[in-house]
Amino acid sequence: MRGSIIPVVWLALAVLPALAEAQDTDALRREVEQLRRQQEQYQKTIEALNERLKRLEMLNTPTAQPPAPATPPAAAAPATGAPATAGSPAITAPAAAGSPPGAVAVAQTPGGATSAPSALELLSPRQPFSLYQQRGAGQLLFDMGLTGDFVGNLVQRNVQKAQAGTFSGQENRFFPREVELSLFGQIDPYARADVRIEAGEETAGAESGVNLAEATITLLALPYGTQAKIGQMRNRFGWSNPIHEHDLPWVDRPDVYRIFFGPEGLVEKGGEATWVPDFLPFYVEALGGVFNGDNETAFGYGRINNPLATGRVRAFFELTDTMGLQIGTSVASGETPDRLQSTLVGYDVKYKFRPEGWLHPLLTLSSEGIYSIRQVENSAGDKRTRDRFGAYGWAEVQPWRRWAMGTRYDWTQYPTNPGHQWAVEPYVTFMPSEFLRFRLAYKHTERSSREGFDLNGGSGRIMDEWFLQATFVLGAHPAHPF
Amino acid sequence: MRTIARGPLGLLVGIVLVVGGLLVPGAQAARKLRVVATIPDLKSLVEAVGGDLVEVESLTRGTQNFHEAEVRPSMMLKLRRADAVVENGLDLDAWADTAIEGSNNPEIIRGGRGRIEVSRGIEVLEVPSARVDRSMGDVHPRGNPHFSLDPGLAPAITQNFVDGLARVAPESRAAFEKNRAAFLAQLQQRMVEWTKTMEPLRGSKVVVFHPDFIYLLTRFGLVQAGTVEDRPGIPPAPQHLVTLIRQMKEEKIKVILVEPWNDIKLANRVAEEAGAKALVMATAVGAVKGADNYIAAIDYNITTLAKALQ
Repeated sequence: MRGSIIPVVWLALAVLPALAEAQDTDALRREVEQLRRQQEQYQKTIEALNERLKRLEMLNTPTAQPPAPATPPAAAAPATGAPATAGSPAITAPAAAGSPPGAVAVAQTPGGATSAPSALELLSPRQPFSLYQQRGAGQLLFDMGLTGDFVGNLVQRNVQKAQAGTFSGQENRFFPREVELSLFGQIDPYARADVRIEAGEETAGAESGVNLAEATITLLALPYGTQAKIGQMRNRFGWSNPIHEHDLPWVDRPDVYRIFFGPEGLVEKGGEATWVPDFLPFYVEALGGVFNGDNETAFGYGRINNPLATGRVRAFFELTDTMGLQIGTSVASGETPDRLQSTLVGYDVKYKFRPEGWLHPLLTLSSEGIYSIRQVENSAGDKRTRDRFGAYGWAEVQPWRRWAMGTRYDWTQYPTNPGHQWAVEPYVTFMPSEFLRFRLAYKHTERSSREGFDLNGGSGRIMDEWFLQATFVLGAHPAHPF
Repeated sequence: MRTIARGPLGLLVGIVLVVGGLLVPGAQAARKLRVVATIPDLKSLVEAVGGDLVEVESLTRGTQNFHEAEVRPSMMLKLRRADAVVENGLDLDAWADTAIEGSNNPEIIRGGRGRIEVSRGIEVLEVPSARVDRSMGDVHPRGNPHFSLDPGLAPAITQNFVDGLARVAPESRAAFEKNRAAFLAQLQQRMVEWTKTMEPLRGSKVVVFHPDFIYLLTRFGLVQAGTVEDRPGIPPAPQHLVTLIRQMKEEKIKVILVEPWNDIKLANRVAEEAGAKALVMATAVGAVKGADNYIAAIDYNITTLAKALQ
């Protein structure tokens, strides 16, 4: 028995490892098989994901990307002969059609609700969606531009003596009237800022002083078609007052503005709000504002507790695709340093005809007028009201892109003194490009009396002035509305 | 106070409400998404994507030079009522900022959800690789902005529309995608025809008045051999024209491509001298008769080019 057990044990010891090895091999084979299946599965998954990624890339980036341009970069070198480049003619198949809904990677944006926003929502800050996305590394987050405006004038000697010319104190001089640095852009998703700093020669031979021409914050995200602007600004009184000197269609601001508001026009510190209704069949903008009333010519009290109040309504009528008409009325009411009431009411009308396909208007017609109602006090302390009026009419034709010519006729009374003046000013403008302009003008002015224009024994009763203006724009310059 | 409320003030409020209700555009009709496009090409493409769900207006016409559009207050009124605005970007329609700001519509200001800039994701051509300034004329520092009439870029452009419109009306995304797919399928069919037409002309040289056509030319393998404008936007000097005419004669260039607002007389004179032909192209939808929509405009250009170059 003992002898039989030994061979069995020996046999078992010899066979069992072999059996165990056979079992391990099977297990390993099974494991390998399983791994292979898994690998195939992964491969399929990777392929599916790759396919999906490709589809998404084709949808979200320009699918049929244009090949290398058929010319060298035009901006870097003028387009001349260039090697032919094979273009890829096929457009991308509409992959989105085959994609399951939601498969397209879409930049879902926060707050994308469709229902009308509540008043609370309207007052809440909005999230930015596209701000800054076009900016690259090293780019500024705002725009800047520089304009230069130089004026030369020739006038009779007696007018120079009386310092009664259109550019008082600068008669028979060539001078930098306005060199302006503009910085503007969006502050954040809710507001934009505009800052304009200008330098110019204000008196003959003096060093050019630097002034803050404008600095405003415009709140863009207000509800119900409203917008607010605060800061120092050229007031929207008439259509020409907000326009800076270098952008005016004339060398000088119309007499009615210079006489009723001073040589700079109406520039004030305060705030104004506008409303554009969306239910009218034509464009209307209503404006109301409150300002210090610093303008020394018309107001001058300069305190917000007795502010200068302004208002304006303008409407635009698109007569045809080629013709437009804008009419407006403005008001500004404040107090003089003597606490006397001063109110100015204005009208403005502007018509433009731009034939189909033209890059510029052929004909522009306009007129603006101001009616001034001002309290004055005589030496006895008696108060009375002085009503004064002034206006201009203007016509310009631009038959060629580079050349324009026109005439302005001014007639205005003086706001406090008796008398009036009239002037006629024909001019011709040459624009070698959009960014460079030269203007030559002649202005004949007659005043009803030399009183007030007779400094140093001179006389400014009759003036014949020649103006030469040169203007350039460097960098960004926002488009001007109609 | 109560008397005032019942009297003139109440009457005034009543009149305002009644008149306002009558005047609110489409107050009685089903509300469609109001979209304003800066140029007519984009209007046509938005109509294709938006279908019946949108009502689209363009701020400019095809016959206008988009660089120099006049900002009219009537534009501001359209934008005041808009749910979304579609702009080309790359400074082609930079004036739109002024119009949008004047509209007092916070939904479409920069950063607003209704602001859709189409140039996002477009591979822009002629991006300057060296320093540029205005001595080179009216250059575009961010590249050539006239990409809208390259049919190969329509998928990317329309995808931007789908994403932008879905921001304003997310519930309509599926419909926008469906419309887009149908439009692209239609465009694909035409693309096959256009490619076949242009294939034999691959490598042909053309002269352009202003570099508006680079995307179209590149797409179909044509070569822009020269420009009538010496520098973009600047009238050409006579010496440049003499050189150009000589080049056209030497290289047997048959056509000058012209925009509707270019100096056609000058283009004709140069073409005549060089023994070529000046062709007024559909630089935008509506630029020429028959180019009433996006596909028709491209078709016009391909047909005109093929006929002239054969």
